[in-house]
Amino acid sequence: MAFAWKASGLTYNRYLAVAARVVRRSLKEQPRLQAERRGEMELRFAKWESGKQGENKSLAEVNAADMAEHAGKE
Amino acid sequence: MLSRAVRPALNAGAAASVRPVAPNAASYATLREIEQRLKSIKNIEKITKTMKIVASTKLNRAQRAMTESRSYGETSNTVFEKAETKPIEGEDKKTLIIVASSDKGLCGGIHSGLTRATRRMLEKKPNSDLVVLGEKCKAQLSRSSAKNIRLSFAGVGKDVPTFADAQAIADQVSLLPTDYGDVQIMYNKFINATSYEATPIEAFSEEAIANSPQFAQFEIDDEVLANLREYALANSLYWALAEGHACEQSARRNAMDNASKNAGDMINKFQILYNRTRQAVITGELVEIITGASASEE
Repeated sequence: MAFAWKASGLTYNRYLAVAARVVRRSLKEQPRLQAERRGEMELRFAKWESGKQGENKSLAEVNAADMAEHAGKE
Repeated sequence: MLSRAVRPALNAGAAASVRPVAPNAASYATLREIEQRLKSIKNIEKITKTMKIVASTKLNRAQRAMTESRSYGETSNTVFEKAETKPIEGEDKKTLIIVASSDKGLCGGIHSGLTRATRRMLEKKPNSDLVVLGEKCKAQLSRSSAKNIRLSFAGVGKDVPTFADAQAIADQVSLLPTDYGDVQIMYNKFINATSYEATPIEAFSEEAIANSPQFAQFEIDDEVLANLREYALANSLYWALAEGHACEQSARRNAMDNASKNAGDMINKFQILYNRTRQAVITGELVEIITGASASEE
């Protein structure tokens, strides 16, 4: 069973997040504003190499970049 | 002449007590000092009271999110219970420990409790890797076991954690290059409003799920298995984050309650001291005036 989203490098969680965003955006104005707050994500993260903290980066951007890189491999 | 003679003594006094005290008005100055202390303690009490109220309001929302997420996470884990999944035990398999703390302090010892539990775990399995959510535990763990940390996340705990947070973290965790035998998520379990316990939730690797004894009862394709694992990880993370958040708010409420109480005690003490000193100063002045008057009469 091959999935189109898997082939384009998305993880299952990312796939769900995108689907959820679409549903939220298609709501009416009032409930939409409430629902969209539940979909916000403003985390930052850093990779650590042998005991040293790396650069602080926005998680959303890096996730998108990592998945784009993953795209060709599967 | 006099001022020059006084100055060295004044300097010595300033060095000893940090706050310089004018020698000719010593009693007034201490009175004023007490007044200042009193004022600053009152301000602190105001702040802690406000923080307590804020935490109480947030606690309600956090607790609601916690009960929802708990049933969510437990339902998600039912599959693994029914399949009797066990983590793979082996020398070559590494363990990943995810520590779910937050960015903010001023909430008693819940972060250090989590750190202690993590350190205990690291002693048992010294080559496990760490993923730290939240600045507080990151600061504590980077002092003792910086070598084990692979990822750290900031920005946790500003608001009630969303499932999008958990998903993004789960994505980045599953992109880690090492293949882990099992994943432990450390979080503060909410027992009641005053007690929390650092507890691990188990999240399993694909291999562990595939090797579980009752696995054949479920119809799971191999390709979907990876999805199930990622999704289960996000569920467990969401559960841990939400419950940890509720614990933090409740701990902050208690800590601020205690702080306000202590400030109240101190205010009482200082108020009494202030009144006594004021009376003493007035009495002293009266004595001076009366003796002066009776001396000039004669």
